Amino acid sequence: MQLDLKRGSRIRILAIITFVIIAIFIVRLFYLQVIRHDYYVGLAHAEQFKQLDIPAKRGEIYAMDGTTPVPIVLNQAVYTVFADPKVIHNDKAVIDMVNQYAAGNAQPDLAGLLSQKESRYQVLATKVSPQQAEQMKNQNLLGVGFTQENQRVYPEGQLAAQTLGFVNGAGQGQYGIEQALNTQLTGVDGLLQSVTDVSDVPLTIGNDNINTPAKNGENVVLTLDRNIQAYAEKALATGVKNSKATNGSVMVMDPQSGKILAMANLPTFDPSNYGTVRDASAFDNATVSAPYEPGSDVKTLTMAVGVDKGVVSPDATYNNTDYIKVEDRTITNATKGQTGNITFQHAMNYSLNTGFVTVAERLGDGSNITLDARNTMYDYFHNKLHLGELTGIELAGEAQGIVVPPSNPDGGAVRYSNMAFGQGLDVTMLQACAAFSTVINGGTYYTPSIIAGSMSDDGSTFTASQAKPSQYNVIKKSTSDTIRKMVHDARDAFYSGKDTKGYYIGGKTGTSQTIENGQYVDNQTVGTYLGFGGNSPDAPSYVIMVQVSGKGMNLAGNTDALPIFTDISNWMLNYLKLQPKE
Amino acid sequence: MRSSRNSVRGTDGNTSSVMRRHHPDYQIVLYMGLLMLLGLIIMYAIGPQRANVLNNAYGTDYYTSTYFFVKQSASLLLALVTFIAIAFTPYTFFKKHAGKIVVIALIACLLLFITGDLLHSGVAQCSLGACRWFNMGPLGSVQPAELLKFGLLLFCAGFLGIRVKQGLVNDLHRTLIPLGVLMLVASFFVIGLQKDMGTGIAMIAIVACMMVVSGVDKRIGVVLLGTSLVVGVVFIIVAPHRVQRVLTFLQGDNTSQSSSVDDSYQITHAKIAIGSGGFAGVGIGNSVEATGYLPEAINDSVFAIMGETFGFVGLTVILGMFSALLYRLLKVADNLTDIWMKLAVIGVFGWLMSHVILNVAAMIGVFPLTGITLPLLSFGGTSMIFIAGALGLAFQLSHYTVHGSLSKENEYEGISSRRGIGGSRHSGRRSSSRA
Repeated sequence: MQLDLKRGSRIRILAIITFVIIAIFIVRLFYLQVIRHDYYVGLAHAEQFKQLDIPAKRGEIYAMDGTTPVPIVLNQAVYTVFADPKVIHNDKAVIDMVNQYAAGNAQPDLAGLLSQKESRYQVLATKVSPQQAEQMKNQNLLGVGFTQENQRVYPEGQLAAQTLGFVNGAGQGQYGIEQALNTQLTGVDGLLQSVTDVSDVPLTIGNDNINTPAKNGENVVLTLDRNIQAYAEKALATGVKNSKATNGSVMVMDPQSGKILAMANLPTFDPSNYGTVRDASAFDNATVSAPYEPGSDVKTLTMAVGVDKGVVSPDATYNNTDYIKVEDRTITNATKGQTGNITFQHAMNYSLNTGFVTVAERLGDGSNITLDARNTMYDYFHNKLHLGELTGIELAGEAQGIVVPPSNPDGGAVRYSNMAFGQGLDVTMLQACAAFSTVINGGTYYTPSIIAGSMSDDGSTFTASQAKPSQYNVIKKSTSDTIRKMVHDARDAFYSGKDTKGYYIGGKTGTSQTIENGQYVDNQTVGTYLGFGGNSPDAPSYVIMVQVSGKGMNLAGNTDALPIFTDISNWMLNYLKLQPKE
Repeated sequence: MRSSRNSVRGTDGNTSSVMRRHHPDYQIVLYMGLLMLLGLIIMYAIGPQRANVLNNAYGTDYYTSTYFFVKQSASLLLALVTFIAIAFTPYTFFKKHAGKIVVIALIACLLLFITGDLLHSGVAQCSLGACRWFNMGPLGSVQPAELLKFGLLLFCAGFLGIRVKQGLVNDLHRTLIPLGVLMLVASFFVIGLQKDMGTGIAMIAIVACMMVVSGVDKRIGVVLLGTSLVVGVVFIIVAPHRVQRVLTFLQGDNTSQSSSVDDSYQITHAKIAIGSGGFAGVGIGNSVEATGYLPEAINDSVFAIMGETFGFVGLTVILGMFSALLYRLLKVADNLTDIWMKLAVIGVFGWLMSHVILNVAAMIGVFPLTGITLPLLSFGGTSMIFIAGALGLAFQLSHYTVHGSLSKENEYEGISSRRGIGGSRHSGRRSSSRA
């Protein structure tokens, strides 16, 4: 550049100094903007480009109300109210607002929080409802902000708590359906890769932005009927209280489909306040996660094997001496005095162990529980009725249980003689219910299920899920008919007066010993009752299983579990609007 | 070599009576207008983002997306009115009342100190312990230091002009000490009380440029430069925030451990904005650093945002426009024969030059942050209005330049020559300058 200024003048000197400085600036700019461009783009990118998750809405959970799905787990937006004390001048106005609209959710000592003027973030209230938040937002106070989060709400309170489970602070389902179907319920978070402003708000600037929308979690509809569930919980609570027991479980199943209508457990918890639970065992759904020795309930299954194989019938007889020797062990009856030649129905009515050991023997050579007999029993118990096998129920923490096969050195005649009357095997209530349903429904094994289907995003359209595979003619229909009648007769023999007249109810008590550290303990028995009901002798409408227990308590099927069964059964007849037939 | 020039001078005489009003230098208006327009475009582009950032920060929706554009337009309008008003107010008015303006400005500074620092009144607008503005309610705020700059410019032009005519420009007692006292008083208010190093340096630069052109002896210049450096260092040491700024600057890119988080953050992000702009820039409206990353994005850091938006090409053009404007001012000064006029225009040059250089130097990381606006481009009324006013004065004075063969050597040059300064200044004049 030629300077058109007087040569050598002071003005020219000023010009030269100025333009040299500006030329240096341009060189510096060239260095920053051209040579170091990539470096600074990298710095800018690292700071400006962010990946934001678009949270997917967690699926809601429905239960049936008769034939209509109704929500029992919903999402609700809750707000955290925070303040930037540095920009708040009128502390009192903010405190008054919080106290006016959200006093119950406010943190203690709001004035103290706001007086920390150097801090930029103080939480004033938590879990504020959208209505409260809206009212506070309308106040338009400077320096007060709101963040939204979603939490699960339970319109039915504690209903089916263990079946539902809960969602922890990290958004993960814990226990029950929430855990088992976590992936399905969670959905897929969307991804937004974008240049953002300094407060992480995405900008439309740039070409590398990716926006994948979130896929909301599926709304799940359970087979549980909320009315049956509610009544089962109530009846269980009453029964457990009457027995002064501490623990109890009830399962109600539709024997014609394997659908679970109710599963109730005590002790229970409040899923909206799961954090207050001290003993985590309250979260367990004992009906699927706690295997136990089923005891006499299994006698119906043993009898079904015998009848199906044609080796016994209700009217066939055997000689009961109140004890029976199997190898080096002697098995005795709990109820004594029914000695002599008695029918197997009689043995069923009085739950005589000898009768069922006899069935096992007759499956063999008549006096020994041979390998053939054991193979037959194992085939029925394990392969056909799926005891000691995971059912695949859509709930977290399902236990497998144990049925020792004959091929196992432990699976000898002694064990199988015990298994014939319900000892020496571990099953869950769910397995017991599914197997029992099979022997009284005509012989079809329905895989138990708790998922009825799904509900559309807007809650308007219910889509039933495909039925799970079932196995037909697991036992002969005639066998099933026989067993159903035997179970009915067994209940009828002592408890007919307890049932509403005109219906066809059957059931079997069980009082099983508890094993602790590998040894049977004497002072603790679990009372169970497993039965069915309906208005037709051919097609029962429900199966109910009850279990009552307590630490160091001797609880019996007939005195402690049976009343709960009777209570629920009579209510069910009414609820299902079954017309009396007899 | 001097023959032709001497003969011209000899024949036409050397009195100021030959100065006649003629066409002003319209290029001053052209470059000023272009720069203002560019500033307006940037306000339009980043205003919405800036509004968004502020609304987020304060939880309001007070700032609309056109807030800054509209306000800047209003400032520009006001600046243009000021420009025209000063351009058409006879310069003799300013020449006459320069002293009064200085006194008013100093009183204003004193009032600011009393109301702000002593009384903590709402009249003074303070931030981070520095009271620099008077709060004018809905009219915004006014910075007395800007008025002081303008007053000093006018006053020193007169003062130095008289001393030049008297041949006493290098006289210690008559010139240098009075000027030094005046500058110390002004610096005490601006740098000491208002803690505004940037404006202080600009003020000193204005007077320094005028001293250079008035022909102050080189040796005196060196002494003064040394003195102001020492004084500058003292001022830096007594103010912790300046020490931090200098440390930040000396640490360069490696500022993550710096105690002055705010400054290093601003400089780092200014460089990120400039560097990521690349050769051609990201384009209007695509600045990301303006969305809250770079502090003062529309004020002191607007050069960096322009660097991101318009790239190396854009910044070079902007610096080119500033250079052209500065050159026009020098050119006008060069061609003015009246010493007051010449020094006044040089003052305007010093003002513009010091702001541009201090601001840009901080943004590109070659000088510590001083918190000074980029003239005509930064958002903000006071700075814009006073710069426009100063340019208006220069524009008016450009009526009186003497070109080519009409150019006169004035009496003061003879004095300077006698003192051995710039003795060869006539020899370089080329014929092209007369075209």
